[in-house]
Amino acid sequence: MAAETQSDTDFGEVSQLKGILFEYLSLGASLLGILSLAALLVYVAVDAFGLEAADPLWFLIYFVTLVVPTLGFVGYGVKNRAVGTVGGTSLLYLLGGLAATLALSILFIIFDAQQWLLVYTVGVLPAALVFIYGRMKEWQQANLLTPIVFAVGSMLGVFLKGPLATFPQKWIIYLWTLGVPVAALLGSRALNRDGRDAAVATAVGTLAIAVAAALAGPALTGLNSDVTLLLGLFVGAPTLAYVARVVRTGHDGVAGLLMPVVIFGGMLLGAFVVQQVAVAQPESWVTWSYFTNPPSQLSAEEAGLFPAIVGSVFVITNVAIMTLALGVATSIYLEEYAASSGLLGKITRLIQVNISNLAGVPSVVYGLLGLALFINGLGLGLGIVLVASITLSLLILPIVIISSQEAIRSVPNELRQASYGMGATRWQTIRNVVLPQSLPGILTGTILALGRAIGETAPLLMIGAATTTFAPPTGYFDSVTVMPLQIYAWSSQPSDAFRYGVVAAGVVTLLIVLLTMNSVAILVRNKYQNES
Amino acid sequence: MSQENMTTSDPETTNTESDQLIDTDPGRGGLDESSGRGSVTSANTVIEARNVNVWYNDDQALNDIDMRIPKKQVTAMIGPSGCGKSTFLRCINRMNDLVDAARIEGELLFNGKNVYDSDVDPVALRRRIGMVFQHPNPFPKSIYDNVAYGLRLQGKTDNMDQRVEDALKSAALWDEVKDRLDESGTDLSGGQQQRLCIARAIAPDPEVLLMDEPASALDPVATSQVEDLIADLAEEYTVVIVTHNMQQAARISDKTAVFLTGGELVEFDDTQKIFENPESQRVEDYITGKFG
Ligand SMILES: Nc1ncnc2c1ncn2[C@@H]1O[C@H](COP(=O)(O)OP(=O)(O)OP(=O)(O)O)[C@@H](O)[C@H]1O
Ligand SMILES: [Mg+2]
Repeated sequence: MAAETQSDTDFGEVSQLKGILFEYLSLGASLLGILSLAALLVYVAVDAFGLEAADPLWFLIYFVTLVVPTLGFVGYGVKNRAVGTVGGTSLLYLLGGLAATLALSILFIIFDAQQWLLVYTVGVLPAALVFIYGRMKEWQQANLLTPIVFAVGSMLGVFLKGPLATFPQKWIIYLWTLGVPVAALLGSRALNRDGRDAAVATAVGTLAIAVAAALAGPALTGLNSDVTLLLGLFVGAPTLAYVARVVRTGHDGVAGLLMPVVIFGGMLLGAFVVQQVAVAQPESWVTWSYFTNPPSQLSAEEAGLFPAIVGSVFVITNVAIMTLALGVATSIYLEEYAASSGLLGKITRLIQVNISNLAGVPSVVYGLLGLALFINGLGLGLGIVLVASITLSLLILPIVIISSQEAIRSVPNELRQASYGMGATRWQTIRNVVLPQSLPGILTGTILALGRAIGETAPLLMIGAATTTFAPPTGYFDSVTVMPLQIYAWSSQPSDAFRYGVVAAGVVTLLIVLLTMNSVAILVRNKYQNES
Repeated sequence: MSQENMTTSDPETTNTESDQLIDTDPGRGGLDESSGRGSVTSANTVIEARNVNVWYNDDQALNDIDMRIPKKQVTAMIGPSGCGKSTFLRCINRMNDLVDAARIEGELLFNGKNVYDSDVDPVALRRRIGMVFQHPNPFPKSIYDNVAYGLRLQGKTDNMDQRVEDALKSAALWDEVKDRLDESGTDLSGGQQQRLCIARAIAPDPEVLLMDEPASALDPVATSQVEDLIADLAEEYTVVIVTHNMQQAARISDKTAVFLTGGELVEFDDTQKIFENPESQRVEDYITGKFG
């Protein structure tokens, strides 16, 4: 009887040994991966920023002024979630604004600002107005009219460029073509949140900040008025609007606004102390002139990555547009339209298998394809932007297609059924249900694929891209080099200064561009995720 | 034919004006077959099934269904799980077209026109025959946009706010959500989601409403609200409802169809007759719980 009473209260024990073992094994694996990546980054950073030259005191000063306060604040933010959120968001506004400014500055090196002014004024703006009017009034024809207005207007804009002789200054163009939409956007967001007065104040304030930055900025910073305008517009105005909102609504995390102050204040304080004490500073290769100089072959100190940065951004922008358009269209066709049974179904499956195989083809082969098809076949120039963009697009297209298909497939069938059941056509179902639901997944796949494209060298060498160019490309038929190619060229230089310092700085720059690109894409993705 | 969010022409809507798609010709449906089951006269028949057989691959799900569903009445379908009730419902608005494995034979007349004729556009058909699914499937959009979905598809965008409010009120959901129409429909509870789907289905005023166990996820209060709604709807619309709840079928329906395993329609008659005095022994066994 004793045994029976015991089994009533004693439940015994189920061994969890395997589970625990597995847990720690996977933890170990991830730690190993992360640590080796971190070691690599530290190694590169030491070279790129010339940290070896710095006095230990230098590290101590920055540790005290920057690292400790920042870490302390982050710790506080982790404990007090509201503060953490506000702190993170305000940093994001600042950095996002900086990234936008940089990207636009580079894009306007390539694209003609005056041309953009015309296209915007007669094409983009009217089309946007028609679209918004249609949305507000539930006016159905707007959806049809918008692309027509856009196409006709843009063409008109292109043709207007010839006859027109005088154009306003660059910062005025920016104010009209970028400032007004940003002001309207911020204003409409304020309208939804806080009503009419706040909206007007935000919009007018945004424009005022932009104008002030353009007029007063150059004297204060030594930058061009168009750059300071962009800074005011994308960094100043959104951040201020955010600060104002947090303060006015009495958000719990008001203290989080100090986060950027702590970081940038720490940097300034550190610089000040270092100057006073006069300790040896690191001899960084990553300097402002590194970003703005052409690549010198002779002097490592004067070498810069400017043409390659512009080239990379230009090519990647093209690749992103092309692969998104082609990849999404193809994946939608394969998932939503293509027959899955019968003869057509067999053909579809064959195509599907081929796409999967193409994703695994080495990149050199794509280079060869580009060479044969576009240069030998179509007679396009060696190593020009157009050929580079198309070749890289072909390279990552299969990856984009496969990941987009995966995202589209993950949309629950019940939602499609619901849409069809309401009398939606296939296109309406795709447009209203499938695409919004799968967009985050599609973007994730595309981001990863673009990351691969931006680091490619082999296919570009195959299509005859120069490893070094001294001026950035300004059109689709200019020859182009990209960051990895330039870095590769430097790495074969005889002098150590090139092989370690300049190359490491190039790697850091490449990583920065990649991270910026990814964070913009992630922001876009999160926005959609929240909406749907 | 202009719908919200449509910029290009529909690949599917190859046919013309949706509202004229199916000619309403009462004469055709009225081949006076007194053999029609359930003593529904041909004059008030809105949906008629003639020898409908459905297969999924090689498995037969419906076996020679003959049935006449009367206009502006509630027709209930009962039967054990897996006997083909949902399948029959999906045949009526051609949702089975979306199932690759499904194959249908026979005729299914809506207002006298075979909906499987080649000149019938299933999209236009579904705009006239609304559907509430067995599992709540609201879109991951705001509550408002969920209800407005069909209205926008069909371009019925005047008085949107009012139409949305009416639909939500009819579905007994308005009071719970009127202050948070901007929130996502998927954040609602299961029962609320189902009522949202009902609101979504009735918002564009379909002629026929197919409901697949609309009350299975609802509490007694919401269930009785939905039952009241169905009674109201039947004054204007034809309602076909699948339910596992005998009492519910007995309470709300005018006609009842009993399907039994094998995809057979065993008996179809006035609800009262089915529940009080069924012809078939199997139906009696099923209703009294001896079988199924
Ligand atoms: N998409 C499908 N593919 C293959 N077979 C299916 C499919 N849908 C239903 N079936 C089969 O058809 C038969 C009828 O299914 P149906 O869903 O119509 O039953 P039901 O009467 O609605 O059952 P329940 O009361 O459980 O909802 C079942 O045997 C089921 O396995
Ligand atoms: Mg069912």
